Amino acid sequence: MDKLQYADVNRDVVRSLVETGPRYYTALFIAIGVTLACFFFPWFYQLYYGIGAAGMNHPAVWGTYLASFIFWIGLSHSGTLLSCVLHLTNSEWRKAMYRSAEAMTLFSLMVAATMVLVHVGRPWFVHWTMPYPNQMELWPNFRSPLLFDVMAVATYLTGSSIFIYMGAIPDFAAVRDRTSGWRRHMYVLLSLGWRGTDKQWHRLGWAYTFLAVLIIPLAVSVHSIVSWDFAMSIVPALHQTIFAPYFVVGAIYSGTAGIVTVMFVLRKYMNFEQYITRVHFDNLGKLMLVLSLIWTYINILEVFTGWYSGTSTELEAMKYKMFGYYAPLYWEMIAFCAVAPLLLISKRFRTSFVPMLILSVAVNIGMYTERFLIVTTSLSRQYLPDAWGLYVPSLVEVSILIGSLALFTTLFLIFVKIFPSVSIYEVKETMATPNRRPSEEGVPQWQPTS
Amino acid sequence: MATHIIGLFHGPDSALAAAGKLRGAGLPTPELQSPVPIEGVEEVLGVKKAVIKRFTFFGGLIGAASGFLLAAGTAVLWAHPTGGRPIITIPPFLIITYELTILFGILATVLGFLISARLPAIRERIYVPEAAVDKFAVIVACDDDEHRGRAEAILREAGAEEVRASMEQS
Repeated sequence: MDKLQYADVNRDVVRSLVETGPRYYTALFIAIGVTLACFFFPWFYQLYYGIGAAGMNHPAVWGTYLASFIFWIGLSHSGTLLSCVLHLTNSEWRKAMYRSAEAMTLFSLMVAATMVLVHVGRPWFVHWTMPYPNQMELWPNFRSPLLFDVMAVATYLTGSSIFIYMGAIPDFAAVRDRTSGWRRHMYVLLSLGWRGTDKQWHRLGWAYTFLAVLIIPLAVSVHSIVSWDFAMSIVPALHQTIFAPYFVVGAIYSGTAGIVTVMFVLRKYMNFEQYITRVHFDNLGKLMLVLSLIWTYINILEVFTGWYSGTSTELEAMKYKMFGYYAPLYWEMIAFCAVAPLLLISKRFRTSFVPMLILSVAVNIGMYTERFLIVTTSLSRQYLPDAWGLYVPSLVEVSILIGSLALFTTLFLIFVKIFPSVSIYEVKETMATPNRRPSEEGVPQWQPTS
Repeated sequence: MATHIIGLFHGPDSALAAAGKLRGAGLPTPELQSPVPIEGVEEVLGVKKAVIKRFTFFGGLIGAASGFLLAAGTAVLWAHPTGGRPIITIPPFLIITYELTILFGILATVLGFLISARLPAIRERIYVPEAAVDKFAVIVACDDDEHRGRAEAILREAGAEEVRASMEQS
């Protein structure tokens, strides 16, 4: 990074926005196609023929839609962690990658919210969850964790979109000066007339820090509340106090793995090799290692609590989870999320790009499985044996799961062409004060005067 | 019509030094434009007050009040007794309160930022495009030729790469 100059950063980032090759269009075209075919088409099919098109039935009334909801919300926590926590702790390495991490937050939240719409049978009544005066005299019940969810997710969506936008205002201004046509008009509006005066930087610094401070507890509360959706029921294996921290740790864990995946792709296909380096992968690897250990610990604790409770229902739920119908999935999750990440102890592994990519994808497969197991193993076997049943996702559900990945990819692909995906001014902050190349133009090097 | 003298510098330290000299010479407090936030501006140009914290605080306060009132008010107006439990149940309502505190805090912070940073800019102001790339600009408003000359001299002496004048529409 030492060789980079300030002007290079502007040039590289603007290039990533305006120079679009056939590879990008192919990727975008495929992503949009898969989204339409695998997400929207099955959804309309389900809306037309009814929620029975999904495999959810008594007793397992929750399925992959809710598992995806938890998964996507979880993925969104990474951006917050990287952006806010590392901003407050002044971690320099965050600066090259936080913008994309925040975008991940925003888009996974959008996909998560859509998954709820898919899950409920009649999404056109979704506004009933909002407290607004209406002729039905119908008000939401604020004692329900589902309502907490509405509040928390709506706040989180608002907060994280504001956060990503505010941090990008100076970059919009920098890009504005270098683009033309419709792009220029767009950036003129987006940059709000930012000039980079000392006063503006001062205000931005304060506002950004306040937002970071506000958003961290918000993120923690969001996934705690999602966990309460389950933990506040009296279903065996769900009714546990450990659930909130379990969900929060799992969320950050899968989110960090998600960032590794996204960083790999950005680095490789957007030519950000100079900005996203081995240092970032090394640090992300360490983070993932710590999180995987905490996650493993909580999993052991969960089994222990079930066993120690001594109640037959809890013991049955534990036994079913580990040795029942879904047991292969359970052990796959343990292999991917608890055992495989131990490789991260080796620095050589952490600084190798392709192994990190493979591991990060494996971790997220494992984390998806975890959410799937939480939803399915508990409901399919509660209390009375005559009410037991199995849940197997239908074709519509599997298709929508694949489609949700494509939806996320589509949103992200559009994002990288509109938002500077590497923060221009924060990358500059990590660089030494400008000194020109002792260069072709024969410009003398800048000497500090103080 | 005031003229603005703009000095372009290569690094933040020389720009800051120039700004300090301009201020010391009795000229109006100069404005800096830079590609990155400059550390140590406050030592040279005086401490800036951050009004944003008031916005955040009162926004959060209003959010807390409205969150609790929303949940409790709903419960009281559409009372739904369950098993003799209290109508206004504190723990769940605190969660609603918490979320709305943060929501209003965030929105108020944004409002505070926009107001105190004078954004969005409605009126056209002096702008140095180079300062968005790799130059540090020092801008000082001058009313007459004497000031203009002094400012130019100070800027050049401090090592400005380029000094130019700009007219402001007012």
